[in-house]
Amino acid sequence: MAAVVEPVIRTARLTKVYHSGFRIRRVRALTDVNLDVEKSEIFGFLGPNGAGKTTFIKILMGLSEPTSGAAYVLGRAPRDARVKARMGFLPESPYFYEYLTAAEFLRLAARLAGVPAGEAQGRTNGLLRLVGMEHAASQQMRGYSRGMLQRIGIAQALVGDPELVVLDEPMGGLDPVGRKEFRDIIVNLRERGKTVFFSTHILADVEMICDRVGVIIGGRLVDVGRLSEILSEDVESIEVTVKGASGKFRKALERVAQRSIESGDLLLLTVRGDEDVDKVAAIVREAGARIQALVPRKKTLEDYFMAHVAKAREA
Amino acid sequence: MFGRISGIAVNTFRESIRDKVLVTLLVFAVLVMGSARVIQPLALGEESKVVKDLGLSAITLFCVLIAILVGGRIVYKEVEKRTIYIMLSKPVRRWEFVLGKYAGLMAVLLVSLLFMTVAFYAIMFIVKIDAPAYLLLAVMMTFFELAILTAVAVLFSTFVTPIAGAVFTFAVYFVGQLTRDLKLLAAMSPSPVVKIVSQVLYYVLPNFSNFNVRGEVVSNALLDPNALVFSILYAAVYTATLLLISVAVFSRKEF
Repeated sequence: MAAVVEPVIRTARLTKVYHSGFRIRRVRALTDVNLDVEKSEIFGFLGPNGAGKTTFIKILMGLSEPTSGAAYVLGRAPRDARVKARMGFLPESPYFYEYLTAAEFLRLAARLAGVPAGEAQGRTNGLLRLVGMEHAASQQMRGYSRGMLQRIGIAQALVGDPELVVLDEPMGGLDPVGRKEFRDIIVNLRERGKTVFFSTHILADVEMICDRVGVIIGGRLVDVGRLSEILSEDVESIEVTVKGASGKFRKALERVAQRSIESGDLLLLTVRGDEDVDKVAAIVREAGARIQALVPRKKTLEDYFMAHVAKAREA
Repeated sequence: MFGRISGIAVNTFRESIRDKVLVTLLVFAVLVMGSARVIQPLALGEESKVVKDLGLSAITLFCVLIAILVGGRIVYKEVEKRTIYIMLSKPVRRWEFVLGKYAGLMAVLLVSLLFMTVAFYAIMFIVKIDAPAYLLLAVMMTFFELAILTAVAVLFSTFVTPIAGAVFTFAVYFVGQLTRDLKLLAAMSPSPVVKIVSQVLYYVLPNFSNFNVRGEVVSNALLDPNALVFSILYAAVYTATLLLISVAVFSRKEF
């Protein structure tokens, strides 16, 4: 008998409208967002700045109320304290009590998260080690760099050993080593059966670790799925580098190609499919030139993302 | 529940005592009380009364300043610095947060009050005037006055900026000293508008003058115990009401 598995996060036609300037101006931050995030997956929430990512996360955290539609986290309303006991949150560019040391702050976080007093010290030490901040544990946080605050931020999010971790731009302010460490932490959480939902506008982070992604642009969820589903495996185009073609042959090659770039003796052609490659090859043979390189190009997340942003701008 | 409220209270207390504003105010309070040593010779035959008046007034004044300056930004600062996101992402209910902030601030005021009282008695000992325990009644009433004032400051800080909050809280404190005059105004004014407005203000604003028994204790006059008990109950009810309103405002807030 299989238990019914509820999604960890579910939103139904979630809409948020902000009023500003005495309700004269209305800003639609989210429009009809329907999204399910399943247990034990790493879900990347991808969108350019101002797309509505933080608004969405604030509603999940019960910090903000939807204008219409609904959000459920772990099967309950986000404001429910029972939900909070099972989730951890890292806000965007977090800021903490600068008069506290990291160790004091994590003990406070543990206390608020309901960690038994006897375990708080051990939990705090373990997390400081995990995020590589043991060296600065007894230093007041007023002197911390952005990357150090980010590290303490993820430590406090994990202090209650949550089932769901929500991270708003977790890689912000981190150097490449820090990003790698954060990716390892996130992947390790999934291995322990946790669900991770994180927002970002950095595509590389998503490509490396996410099971599924949701793309939000202009407050609308434009696509959700596995990366392999979103990005077709088909070859989008082929780049052919030709050496030594000149005069009428060069003109003929440029007519076959979608795009061509000259660089001295070299001609970089972008062609659509195998047939066009054959045509290029025929001209090259006739001209006595040579094909130097042939590179099939698949669609990258960046291509996909840029295309969607361009489409949204036109609309 | 208690663990979370006390966690927030301890954090608020820690924040305040590591704040320069509090230390500065405490140092000034002691300096003002100590200045009695300088003006003492000017008060012919009234030395002991002047020192006591000055000391008790300084205690009240500086505690009021602490309540207004530290209390006025206590909730707002968490919103502005976005530390509130962290607090409310833990299983902390919003009313627990407001009560924790209030309790922490009251702990700061209690410690400040004790510190200044000890300094006050030390000064009386140094300038060699008798220091009866009866004076402590005035300090105790100041504490209850502060309980109301702090609740006013917390309420304002849930929805206005720290500076506006401090100004409003000070205005409430100032008018709250004059509520007897408001009643008088209501009785004597020929204009019905003034009558109604001053009557409403009289009933709505806290009556702080009831908590001022400094004149009586310094001149060793007898105080009516029933009036004191009434004032304490008044403080409890008034404070609870303000905190309920603060919780209601804060619970509706979006971040």
